[in-house]
Amino acid sequence: MIVAAIRKEMQVLLRDRSALTSLFVLPIVFMVVFGSIFSGDGGAARPRLIAVVRGQGDQRAAAAVNAIATSGLFRVREEVRRERVEELVADEDVAAGLVFPPGFDPMAGVPAELIIDLGASPVVRGPLQGALAGLVGRSMFGAAAPDVLVARSPHGARPLSGASAFQLLIPGNAVLFGFFLALTVGISFVEERKSGTFRRLLAAPVSRPVLLLYYLVGLVQMSFLFGLGAVGFGLRVGGSVLAFALLTAVMVFAAVSLGLLIASFSGTERQVGAIGSVCLLLMGLLGGGMVPRPLMPHTMQTIGLFTPHAWALEGYYDILVRQGTGIGDVVREILVVAAFGIGFALVGSLRFRFER
Amino acid sequence: MALLECRGLGKDYGALRAVEAFDLDVEEGEVFGLLGPNGAGKTTTISMMCGVVTPSRGSVRVAGHDLARDSFAARRAIGLVPQDLALYEDLSARQNLRFFGGIYGLRAGELAARIDWALGLAGLMDRSTEPVRRFSGGMKRRLNLAAGLLHRPRLVIVDEPTVGVDLQSRNHIFATIRALCADHGMSVLYTSHYMEEVELLCQRVAIMDRGREVARDSVEGLIDRHGGGSLEVEFRGEPGRVASALGALGGVVLEEQGAAGGRLRLREKEPVKPGAVVRAVEAAGGEVESLCLSKPSLETVFLALTGHSMRDDEA
Repeated sequence: MIVAAIRKEMQVLLRDRSALTSLFVLPIVFMVVFGSIFSGDGGAARPRLIAVVRGQGDQRAAAAVNAIATSGLFRVREEVRRERVEELVADEDVAAGLVFPPGFDPMAGVPAELIIDLGASPVVRGPLQGALAGLVGRSMFGAAAPDVLVARSPHGARPLSGASAFQLLIPGNAVLFGFFLALTVGISFVEERKSGTFRRLLAAPVSRPVLLLYYLVGLVQMSFLFGLGAVGFGLRVGGSVLAFALLTAVMVFAAVSLGLLIASFSGTERQVGAIGSVCLLLMGLLGGGMVPRPLMPHTMQTIGLFTPHAWALEGYYDILVRQGTGIGDVVREILVVAAFGIGFALVGSLRFRFER
Repeated sequence: MALLECRGLGKDYGALRAVEAFDLDVEEGEVFGLLGPNGAGKTTTISMMCGVVTPSRGSVRVAGHDLARDSFAARRAIGLVPQDLALYEDLSARQNLRFFGGIYGLRAGELAARIDWALGLAGLMDRSTEPVRRFSGGMKRRLNLAAGLLHRPRLVIVDEPTVGVDLQSRNHIFATIRALCADHGMSVLYTSHYMEEVELLCQRVAIMDRGREVARDSVEGLIDRHGGGSLEVEFRGEPGRVASALGALGGVVLEEQGAAGGRLRLREKEPVKPGAVVRAVEAAGGEVESLCLSKPSLETVFLALTGHSMRDDEA
């Protein structure tokens, strides 16, 4: 009897794609992705690039740069102009910049300047800042010392003053959970098809794309998440409110379209749940919704760009934590998220069978 | 001009020809039956008629509007009552009707009046605020019908409306359909695989089998032309020999057969006396266990036209 029961369970399991996905695919995928993110790129982790400006013949600065270059944590790119260093930091071509002024001497109140994006998450910025200060301090005093560096944002970075930790956390969570709307939409599509209500709607004098508008409840969800952030946690929009609204609209569109796409690969609500949760967690992880992308190895950061999450998050980050960010500053992010939405919608509507 | 005109309507799914070229006219105020076993192509046919499925060939005109060219006007003239209970179970009856009425552009006072009218028609006025999931199967069926009538369509397409309902709800649905034609001048295209329902409700009938139309006429006309009677014979003996012996008396369809007997249906060419059947079976070395005479009906019409009974397809 036990053998018969086991055989039956195995037969049922082997035919159930959603159960197989949840039980076997999901853990393996997560182990691989998390492993890749936190294992330092499998031994191929590259030292972070730092731009440096120092005066010729400055022995203290030379010792500090040498300590940084030989630490194994950083590569040094020497520049001659401070403006060039600021450009490189602002364009994210280097992780940070160090400007050693003439007569560099922290003990005499002449510290080096650390050019770093102060709008970046402390999780990303903190370790970098700490490591550089430690290396510079040890090169001079044999131990870490305070006040060897003064951190400043590059020109034009406009970090929002007094931004709270919540300000930095909310975009990631909003994007991660905002895209979970796709799961709700996918289940609704499959349920409507199963119950036959799609049949009634398709016979009505409305065009098929109009049916999708019914699912824009996502706008309500996003309004709630950000509204709660504003009222409960002091979230502020540092940039343009219009840019914020536009990005939210295209993100909801992308999430709804992703729901249709997931539904088009699923026959039942259970399958939407299994396939959808794998896709959304994976996309959220790669896109920086759980771990900031700058903390990931370079390869994983590049892979993350193939998710709408990464672009939406980038856009939200700029709008929320950078003073005066306008539509023009995030137009690329808005267009890329919209393009993801259009792509999902096209493939989803071609694949999805409105009729059973 | 007919209210619904279909010309050469057909649908292919890859290599499978689900519906061959189908012509149909439904007149104003008529209840037209589309009869066939499960899988005959009825649902695909009506799906094409109301724009849910795109035909592979042919055309549909509803109330003078071409469904392909003037889609919205044609759709407004149709009320579809799907075979599935196409309702939102967590919403109340009134909320469901408000949604479906809104889809058809009904607003405010007009929508409220139509909802009350539809609830009255379905006999659900006193349960209108309860979630649909608490309703019995019959109540859901009645609401399903009402949801297709809110916008007062000129043609109501009703797909198997009595599947799984109790007798009381079935009679209620029949009374509603008759009232739609008599009191509101609507036409009804009624699909079913229950012969007696079609006989009871419809003036004219088209019979479909395996994706094609096999006959169309008034119920009486079909029975007169193709009906005949039939005898169901349960017997003991060698099925092949018994069938062959009875073949001289009429068309024989073996419906069940085993090693030592079976059941067959004998369609009479001319009235056959039961005694002749018994003698023929005994002459073939068998023995009659029971005999059941079926009067001429759409069931016997279907048997005559297709060579198999509706029950064969449902099995």
